[in-house]
Amino acid sequence: MSDIWNVTFIIARQKGDQARYYQSFPLEINPDEYVLDGIERVWAFHDRSLTFRHACHHSTCGACGMLVNGVEKLTCITPIRSVTNDGGIVKVEPLRNFPVVSDLVVDMSRMYANLGEADFYQVGSLKNTYLPIEKELPSDETYERLVDCIECGLCISACPVALTTPTYLGPAVLAAIQHGHEFNGEIIRSLEFADTEFGAWRCHSGFECSVVCPSNVDPAWRIMDLRKRIVGYRIKKLFGKK
Amino acid sequence: MTTRPEVIVIGAGFTGCAIAHDLLLRGIGATVIDRGEIASGTSGRTHGLLHSGGRYCVNDREAAIECIDENIILRKIAKQCIEFNQGFFIALNDNDLEYAPQFEKGAQECHIPIDKIPPQKALEMEPAMNPNLLAAYLVPDGTFDPLRLALAFAAHAKKNGAKFFTYYEAEGLILDGKGNVCGVKIWDRTTDRHIEMKADLVINATGAWAGKITEFAGLDVPITPTPGIMVAYDQRLINRVVNRLCPPDDGDILLPQRRMVVIGTTSFEVEDVDYIPVFEDQVQMMRERAIELVPSVQRTHMRGAYMAARPLVGKAQSGRSLARTFKCFDHQDLHGVGGFVTITGGKATTCRIMAEKTVDVVCAKLNISAECQTKDIPLIPYYEYYSR
Amino acid sequence: MENQPAANKFIRWFDPRNRQVGSWAFILNRITAIGLTIYLFLHLIVLSSLARGPEAYDSFIDLATSPLFKFGELFVIAGGIIHGLNGIRVGITSFGIGIRKQKEMFYVIMVISVIGTAIFAIKMFIL
Repeated sequence: MSDIWNVTFIIARQKGDQARYYQSFPLEINPDEYVLDGIERVWAFHDRSLTFRHACHHSTCGACGMLVNGVEKLTCITPIRSVTNDGGIVKVEPLRNFPVVSDLVVDMSRMYANLGEADFYQVGSLKNTYLPIEKELPSDETYERLVDCIECGLCISACPVALTTPTYLGPAVLAAIQHGHEFNGEIIRSLEFADTEFGAWRCHSGFECSVVCPSNVDPAWRIMDLRKRIVGYRIKKLFGKK
Repeated sequence: MTTRPEVIVIGAGFTGCAIAHDLLLRGIGATVIDRGEIASGTSGRTHGLLHSGGRYCVNDREAAIECIDENIILRKIAKQCIEFNQGFFIALNDNDLEYAPQFEKGAQECHIPIDKIPPQKALEMEPAMNPNLLAAYLVPDGTFDPLRLALAFAAHAKKNGAKFFTYYEAEGLILDGKGNVCGVKIWDRTTDRHIEMKADLVINATGAWAGKITEFAGLDVPITPTPGIMVAYDQRLINRVVNRLCPPDDGDILLPQRRMVVIGTTSFEVEDVDYIPVFEDQVQMMRERAIELVPSVQRTHMRGAYMAARPLVGKAQSGRSLARTFKCFDHQDLHGVGGFVTITGGKATTCRIMAEKTVDVVCAKLNISAECQTKDIPLIPYYEYYSR
Repeated sequence: MENQPAANKFIRWFDPRNRQVGSWAFILNRITAIGLTIYLFLHLIVLSSLARGPEAYDSFIDLATSPLFKFGELFVIAGGIIHGLNGIRVGITSFGIGIRKQKEMFYVIMVISVIGTAIFAIKMFIL
């Protein structure tokens, strides 16, 4: 038993230096399909010039983040049913706070360059990759897994500070620095990288990052925990010098 | 003035990126183009299994040996994006048990290290597995992140001077006066311009779309796009890969990936690979197969479902009986068209050796003698692709 | 292609559509801050009228005890309570304490603000 809904996809378009405009594509689609499936259909059957990022289609690569009806979503795991009704609209735009390359593709190179400064690693021991608050903490250190952060950039898009401060490191990077320090408390370089006016101290507690994160990273908590770590480091440095 | 030969690689999936990496290490310039983002074709949607070869050791020895050799190499050079916790092959009924001796023999002949584990111990190691399992073998399976594996190769290639142009769609091949390929006609989808790029050689690494590219020169290659479904559930119930001990069949692999488990896959043929809808009956079937392997999948919710089109070499009746090896087609030998090579087939685990063999062919054609070094050089961090 | 700050982006700071509780608190904090700052300047200007002698001050007091003015003062009171308590909430969460309860904290703050403003309203208008 599968419904077919009539849904209109309104997609932001932009090529080269032109201004952004919106194009409507009426689709007949099963609402249990994902928003990314809808976008792919638009590309495959309606307009081959549409550009968008996607790779894994199951929330592990982080490529398909977009604004769906004004909210940051990972489109490969967002069923159409959850964002609209039969006869409704799905408005798709590229993420905020990143330069737009074309249509729905944004340029995240600054985030990646900063992640590089954070010495962020994708694979960690099982025990270290869960949030301390999670009740069922796996106790086994010998297993490893890919960490939660998939670098999708939704948090940076949702952050009101990143909106007006392009040099702000952003929740993703700060969370990565905290996570790296959790793995290995000896790392100082990345703490110093975060200890600036555009680093951990720039956050103004909007908390939107944790709300939109599709991957259990909880960047808001991590940024605050990072502040504790930085303060601890500074105090130690102060007393170490004496 | 540079005398270094320049190659255009069409396709930025695992194969294209690994080829660019190998080319640069051997002193050949590479420009990689793809109509989408890195790994946005079949490569991005791979199941993510770092094969130990166990699945093929009975009826496709060649593939199995390739897998185990590359498994060891990738673990060395691409550790940054691999979860390596090994895997199990489990027998759930008498048919499976009958397959066991062949499996043991095959594994031995393909030098795949397996360990027979008593069922009780296997359940202690992996409590979520079906408690009625009758036999279990430990194999060196792993899980990798699809996008980041491709990015790691691409990053390293970029560091050495390769150029990557995403959203550049190949629309045609440029032929010189003698009917040889000397460049690619491109549609830059980000600015809607049409341009041409010239090169000494063009490599078609588009996998399931290889036939579409060769058509530009009026040529044909025997590729059968063979999609399969993958379904991801929202809890990490196991830490090791769990395979069904049986001849390759639908839905016989369940692997952990971050906080999910992913089941795959099926196999059927299509003509047009650009869009393959997800079929609900297959989703249902995958769920049943996953529950057979790990019963607690019942309590999870589906997080994503998608189709990926494998490129199988050779046109045949049933998708599963095709050998899963790869083929490098030198169009000079095949069709008398120079400057053009197609590589297709294979699986993610063997991307590096596919690149090695292809670049061997390319070097021969360009009269360059250089050894492949990719198996010994650890790849630089994947995120450097974006920041270089 | 750098993502430059622009005036229209500041407008987005005040747009709560499609945003959650944390953003509401962020927005309210800024609105009350602007409001209280304007009020502070007005207050200073008014106080300076003390220096101009009893008549100037008396005429101001007539204005200040009018119902409309008192109603306006309620906004100042509300703003002061909200901004003060939210500031404490931001201060506490800034160091990792109670982050997981940040939404609940905000709800409590709003309840206290409503009750506090109501108490002052009663004092100002009824008693």
